Amino acid sequence: MSAIPSTTRTWCLYAGGLLVTLLPLAVLSGDLFWVNILIYTYLFAGLAVAWNIIGGFGGQFSLGHGVFFAVGAYMTARLYLGWEISPWLGMIPGALLCATIGPLVFWPTFRLKGSFFAIATLAFNEVGLVMANYLHTVTGGPRGLQIPFKAGLGNMIFADQCIWALIMFGFMALCVAITIVLMRSRLGYYLLAVREDEEAAHAAGIDVTRVKLRDTALSAALASIGGSLFAMYIRTIDPPTLFSLADIGVKFALIALIGGIGTIIGPVLGAFLIIPAESYLRAVMGGGLPGLHLVVMGGVMLLAALFMRRGVAGALDALWRRRSRSAS
Amino acid sequence: MAAALEKRLMTEPFFSVRNVVKRFAGLVAVDNVSFDVSRGEIVSIIGPNGAGKTTLFNLLTGQLAPNSGEVRLNGALINNLPPDQRAKLGLGRTFQIAKPLIALTVIENTMMGAFLRYPGLRASEKRALAILEQVGLADRANVRASELTLSERRRLEVSRALALEPQLLLLDKVMAGLNPSEVTESIALFRRLHDTGLTILLIEHNLKVVRAFSERVIVLDHGAKIAEGDATTILSTPAVVTAYVGTRKRA
Ligand SMILES: Nc1ncnc2c1ncn2[C@@H]1O[C@H](COP(=O)(O)OP(=O)(O)OP(=O)(O)O)[C@@H](O)[C@H]1O
Ligand SMILES: [Mg+2]
Repeated sequence: MSAIPSTTRTWCLYAGGLLVTLLPLAVLSGDLFWVNILIYTYLFAGLAVAWNIIGGFGGQFSLGHGVFFAVGAYMTARLYLGWEISPWLGMIPGALLCATIGPLVFWPTFRLKGSFFAIATLAFNEVGLVMANYLHTVTGGPRGLQIPFKAGLGNMIFADQCIWALIMFGFMALCVAITIVLMRSRLGYYLLAVREDEEAAHAAGIDVTRVKLRDTALSAALASIGGSLFAMYIRTIDPPTLFSLADIGVKFALIALIGGIGTIIGPVLGAFLIIPAESYLRAVMGGGLPGLHLVVMGGVMLLAALFMRRGVAGALDALWRRRSRSAS
Repeated sequence: MAAALEKRLMTEPFFSVRNVVKRFAGLVAVDNVSFDVSRGEIVSIIGPNGAGKTTLFNLLTGQLAPNSGEVRLNGALINNLPPDQRAKLGLGRTFQIAKPLIALTVIENTMMGAFLRYPGLRASEKRALAILEQVGLADRANVRASELTLSERRRLEVSRALALEPQLLLLDKVMAGLNPSEVTESIALFRRLHDTGLTILLIEHNLKVVRAFSERVIVLDHGAKIAEGDATTILSTPAVVTAYVGTRKRA
């Protein structure tokens, strides 16, 4: 009797779960308003899963992931606009760059604990914003980059929004799959040990710094790919959009937090709760009082923080345990 | 190459500590301490509260760097290596304040040590379970570490250290707070481990335990080594008695 769930069972479970998230797409595929919301839901689910690797499992509460997202967006757009490099390929250098700068920037920051680390990475996001405004040749400065509509698979530009929904779904599935592989390996266990107690991990033979750097690289690279997809989907990117804390940098963490930090499905659940609710509220209330949807979302998050300390995934887990206990 | 290594193993002491010093802003916590440990020995370190025992351990296993002095394992200088590399070389330790990874289960805690020699998930789990059986925690394998009692936490600390298959096991007051029958069980466990060839260096407050199973005793006071020898002789040395009676009065 092993405590490690069997490989086949795990994969079937998660594959089944992910397929369920395709149901709303099947039902709503004719409704552009909802397809657009679904596109963002899959994208942010993937991004929150990517963030969760280092932020949740690794316990390094990064608020700087918006920079990786932005690097991916700029890199892909620039390569496409300047040299007509297909975004499918253009995603790769961005991801590699983030896998390099992520560890480099976080390295000195890892000495900081808890909220100090979060604040330092928040500053990283602000530095990114300043640089994006300044580096005209790459980013187009404050005016940003516009990608003309030229449909084609190689251009990653599509007239049919449902294709985008499937691509974003693929990104989410990729992030989930990578997390599963990681968390079912020694390296994933090491990440947990480092989060729980660095000194104990160190004494148990774990190279704490290396674990953090490696998983930052992975998490940053995935966030960068998310940024690349985002850029090609909206086709117009500028610094205030990419470096927005409320909509990008802090949102990855919030989604994971609401859904259940440090669990594989938590960030996906979080995205399916927050993104549709927020988009809907924005559409419904936006006409009346601008920003009212933010107030409502803030309230929801406050309640979640008060009553679901371990997120939706944690609450469901507790409910499940209580039921199985009363059943037996 | 191999011959040279063999020669070194023959002539060098297994574990040697030479003139290590650790200062904390004005306070000399470890003051020029030297001693050797031979393969297969059980050595106790005793001394009043604040004598510098835990600080000395931290110098040996790499949590702290000494201001000066040398630590050698099998003749190789190790005092510049970080804790994880010393663990790889065979130093396993427990912490005075147990450090369970509380969100993880008992077996997962133990696997963290076992991965060092068994990188695969299943192999490490198997090894960890064998260790848990050895220390008597097998029936708690799938319980979260946060739910353990004090004595179980101490045993978990030992399991994680044992799982990395150390040559030298360093125990920092693993029996403090245990009831007499738990202490007896612990001593039996460490005797069994010792019989399999493990070398043990332990910090211990309970003189009964020290007398019961250490072959040699080192006494620290105000950071300095004030005595060293076999248990019976040391525990009747006037300087040691004074150091100890001194603490009792202070406490
Ligand atoms: N990180 C530190 N910074 C400053 N002073 C320290 C630090 N660690 C220990 N000390 C001081 O060094 C001295 C030795 O402490 P240490 O913990 O090594 O004693 P000990 O012999 O293990 O005591 P006990 O029996 O109570 O565990 C004490 O005076 C302690 O206050
Ligand atoms: Mg101590």
